[in-house]
Amino acid sequence: MRLFTWTTTAYFYITFCLSLLTTTFASDGATSQEAAQDFFSRHAGPENGSNHTNNWAVLVCSSRYWFNYRHMANALGMYRTVKRLGIPDSNIILMLADDVACNTRNKFPGTVFSNQGRHLDLYGENIEVDYRGYEVTVENFIRVLTGRMDASVPRSKRLLTDDRSNIFVYMTGHGGNEFLKFQDNEEISAFDIADAFEQMWQKKRYNEIFFMVDTCQANTMFSKIYSPNVLATGSSELGENSYSYENDADVGVAVIDTFTHYNLEFMEGINKTSQLTMQDLFNTYSFEKIKSTPGVHSDLFTRPLDRTLITDFFGGVARAELIDENAIVEHTSGPTTDVDEAELARSEDIPLPDILADTKNSATSGRRSSSPGLMKQLRAWCPVAVIGVLATWIVMSR
Amino acid sequence: MNWKDFRLSFSLLVLCRLLLAVTPYVDSLELDHDHQLSSPTNSYVRLQEGIFLYKHDVDPYSGGAFYHSPLYLSLFTTVLPTSRFLCRLVWTLVDALGAWALVGIWRERQTLESSSRDTLIAAAYLFNPYLFLPNLALSTASFENMLQLLALLFACKGRASPALFFASILLHLSLHSVLLLPPFILLLLSSPHSHLVNPKFFIAYRNPKASLGTALSYIGEFLVYAAIMSLCCTTVAGGWGWVEKTWGVVLTLPDLTPNPGLWWYFFTEMFDHFRPFFLMVFSVHLLMYVAPICLKFQHDPLFASFALLGVLGMFKPYLTLADPGLFLSMYALFPEIYPYLYHPLVTTLLHLHAALLLPLFHSLWLDQGTGNANFFYASTLVFGMANGAAMVDAIWAGLRIAVGGRQGEDEGEIAVVQE
Repeated sequence: MRLFTWTTTAYFYITFCLSLLTTTFASDGATSQEAAQDFFSRHAGPENGSNHTNNWAVLVCSSRYWFNYRHMANALGMYRTVKRLGIPDSNIILMLADDVACNTRNKFPGTVFSNQGRHLDLYGENIEVDYRGYEVTVENFIRVLTGRMDASVPRSKRLLTDDRSNIFVYMTGHGGNEFLKFQDNEEISAFDIADAFEQMWQKKRYNEIFFMVDTCQANTMFSKIYSPNVLATGSSELGENSYSYENDADVGVAVIDTFTHYNLEFMEGINKTSQLTMQDLFNTYSFEKIKSTPGVHSDLFTRPLDRTLITDFFGGVARAELIDENAIVEHTSGPTTDVDEAELARSEDIPLPDILADTKNSATSGRRSSSPGLMKQLRAWCPVAVIGVLATWIVMSR
Repeated sequence: MNWKDFRLSFSLLVLCRLLLAVTPYVDSLELDHDHQLSSPTNSYVRLQEGIFLYKHDVDPYSGGAFYHSPLYLSLFTTVLPTSRFLCRLVWTLVDALGAWALVGIWRERQTLESSSRDTLIAAAYLFNPYLFLPNLALSTASFENMLQLLALLFACKGRASPALFFASILLHLSLHSVLLLPPFILLLLSSPHSHLVNPKFFIAYRNPKASLGTALSYIGEFLVYAAIMSLCCTTVAGGWGWVEKTWGVVLTLPDLTPNPGLWWYFFTEMFDHFRPFFLMVFSVHLLMYVAPICLKFQHDPLFASFALLGVLGMFKPYLTLADPGLFLSMYALFPEIYPYLYHPLVTTLLHLHAALLLPLFHSLWLDQGTGNANFFYASTLVFGMANGAAMVDAIWAGLRIAVGGRQGEDEGEIAVVQE
């Protein structure tokens, strides 16, 4: 009986020590990872969870000739929206296969319009087209996505994303069942795009991708994607055409496609502080309006659509925290923040998060265990102690 | 109260400096981002960055921002504070220690317990704008200057162990201080007194039976201290990565932030395949001054170290104003050469000229954008000319004094003890 109690006591004691040790070493390991995670989740809160730090956009118009004016207008409309919502030119790759603004058939030279009545000039004075004319090829598009380029290619033509970039890829032109026509002489297939996205995933070139296609039978273009964190939408199903929205009588050609038109109309109601979600956008799609069946492919997308903000993909929202300049660098796991709430851009419908509570929580949750901290303290004291010992020894021994 | 009492006047000077350090106006000047007052190897901003990374378990030497020695990491995470206000006080005390060491060197040179010039020398160090401005900018060049002067003080007193110990700590803060080792050894073996008038071959006054072995034993002791400090640095930094990022930085010049020195502009516009060659040329350029100066001034090693500090204050890779500032303050130690200076007025005016042009062209280039880097580089060339004029004049006077014959040599309050 005594032997039994001894062994059980010993067993429990050893288990207790082991569990103590494992929790010690388990909790200390990645404090810098914890600090980074803490930074991302602090202001996102439980409603959001997006952990991207920068936004990029790849906008491709793949068809040339004057009668494809609307495809150029599609791409430029998306370009304007994306710029308005905060993505800078350095983070936008705009590929236009033809120059309709300076086409000799353009009655309003230097302009591109997307509505009847010509109310808004999309060309403007401040656009940056990265790939123009004959540079818009399948090969260049795939090179942009995968980053496999010659060293001589300038930075403005590169997609310099990292593993925390959200990318908005928009393609428009003429397409069909699992292909999209480039420049009237070549085509890119849905398999090519899927493989390009997979290369990007392997190389950690994106955090999340939102892939939008506006062509005929567009939904087939994203049917072959197999990489995670890709949300895709297209304008029409297999066997359906996508239609243009309206003509302008003086320009003489169709100026915008319906799918893109309704997307842009939705975006006009969005500004940088908007909290509207992708689900809200997709809820506005309907066959009656768009004249074709838009599709949404969210199987590969890990976050719920009603928690994914539009500005996660379309905007370049920067999150700025003001840090007290005179703060003492202390032993906390996260940076101390002194956020000036009046300067944070937040819309009125969301209650301001309790930042102080978040900071306290982060401080307590990330506290290092004592053993490696003690080692670090000892290591830091070593030179000071050695200098002190040597100095006293030298002074003593005249 | 005797106003001429050095302790009283020194306390007043230090009090003035402390008041200057705590003035709120100084904060608004944003001196710690100024390129003339601190360089990447001694900037307070980068020091704070490194301490932050170190405290958060990130190796501060894995990136490209932190070039300070691990000794600073250990000092500031243990005994010294990191808040800006307390750091200003600490830096002022460091400068006060340097001034005290400078006065001590003067006293050793004159073999006096106290003299009437002590206050002037302390003021020459504490109120030299080239020294107190980097100090207010919290540049760690103040630490380097303080250690340099302390090591010289103990070498003047003939106490080898403290001198070599401080020199070994200084080696870890600034690699180029090793160039001052030869005059150090000579100073330890001979005397700090002024022998400029009477140049002779080197006489080991302190230790007549000294031989090459004694000098080698001093070098050996220095190396032992340096090795111990290296091991401490490795313990703090957790590896040997600090060697490449502290000593390697002044040899390979990866960071081309503008500073009043002569290296950065050269290397911004250099083709890559010439880089190793010119890095070698610039480093050897520093090395080649050691032997001639030590040979020429073997009769007065303190003057030799003064001249070498002038060389360092011109041609160091990451120069700040504090390096020629030390040289100019040490001019106060050698009043015997003043009658023999060839162009003191030109030197002063060049320094004034450079002091006006440097901040002006820096602002024109980087703040307003109406100038370019050539403007600032031209002003650093003027600054280099000013330092060169000061150094050449000092060396000229140090040699010319041996010929003598200048009037006013023995006039004035102070009769400099010369042997």
